[in-house]
Amino acid sequence: MLNRPSARRSHLSGPLTLNLVPMLDAMVTLIAFMLYTASFIALVSIDTPVPSFAPTTLINQEPLQLTLTISSTGVTLWSPFKRIDTYTIPNLGDGTIDLATLHAKAVSVKQRFSAETKIILVPAAGTSYDELIGVMDTIRDFEKTDPTITVKDSQSGIDQVVPRLFPEIIFGNLGGAR
Amino acid sequence: MSRSRSIRFRRSSRKVAQDFEINITSLLDVMVIILVFLLKSYMASTMLFTPAKGVQLPISASPDDPKDANMLAITPEGIFLENERVVEFIQTAEEVGDKANYTFRESDLSGQTIVPLYDALVKLRTRSEMIKENSPTRVEGRPVPFRGSLAIQADKLVSYRILQKVMTTAGEAEFTVFRFLAVKRET
Repeated sequence: MLNRPSARRSHLSGPLTLNLVPMLDAMVTLIAFMLYTASFIALVSIDTPVPSFAPTTLINQEPLQLTLTISSTGVTLWSPFKRIDTYTIPNLGDGTIDLATLHAKAVSVKQRFSAETKIILVPAAGTSYDELIGVMDTIRDFEKTDPTITVKDSQSGIDQVVPRLFPEIIFGNLGGAR
Repeated sequence: MSRSRSIRFRRSSRKVAQDFEINITSLLDVMVIILVFLLKSYMASTMLFTPAKGVQLPISASPDDPKDANMLAITPEGIFLENERVVEFIQTAEEVGDKANYTFRESDLSGQTIVPLYDALVKLRTRSEMIKENSPTRVEGRPVPFRGSLAIQADKLVSYRILQKVMTTAGEAEFTVFRFLAVKRET
């Protein structure tokens, strides 16, 4: 003999509605907190090490020691050991640094010295932070239109694409640095 | 007649009040989307640096995300280290005009060194070294050596004269890496 169907079961089979209000409360609190603390401006960084004294080692050839001097009238790309011709690039008509020409010169130097990664930056006292960031951007990375530069891997002998221009920037006129 | 209509109205209004429920499912949908977006923007940068107040950062095409570092901000009011003012400038940008020409107090300078900043950086280094000393992490049996790095935020008009002094002071306090922060250029 079958038992009588449970009354409770039939009661539960009715329309079931979830109580979403506590979840909504938690979400509103979370969103408010995140909106308050979120930063919508994406920041990037350009890293430079403090110049240090390298241990003296015997070298066969004078180093390139590529140097970029920024003055109020323009920029100069040169090598203290005369490994390259000195390029002086005057400012544009509006007084801003000619970044396009500087980039082209930096690429031409990189084509000759593809293994070189360092550049010494010597800005004038009046150079603004904006100009400094612009110059560092120009000399650190290639642009899409630049020619591909390769360097032969010393172990495998296979040509490898040089990914960056002069990514290691060192400030040459810091006093008291170690 | 009018009495019976009013009773009917009262009955119907009571019924509506009892059955009334707001459907919040669609609202919840929208909120979940906002939450996911916010969580994603949180994960985009591992180290969160917020631009300092009163500082207009330059724009950069650098592909590098800022890494862990102590924050130093050069604002028109002064120099802030970890959100705490350590140096106050005599002039502010408003006084000088569009060209920022922040001037140090004479007592704050010793040659190229900014004395209060040096003291604050040394304090920061000592605290960091103490933490490393007590940390179980060791390199060849010794505490992890201090490698101070400083994330520098400066207004785009700040001159290299100021930056040079800041970097020289940080170098003297044995902070060996500088990370110049800028706003990412939209591609």
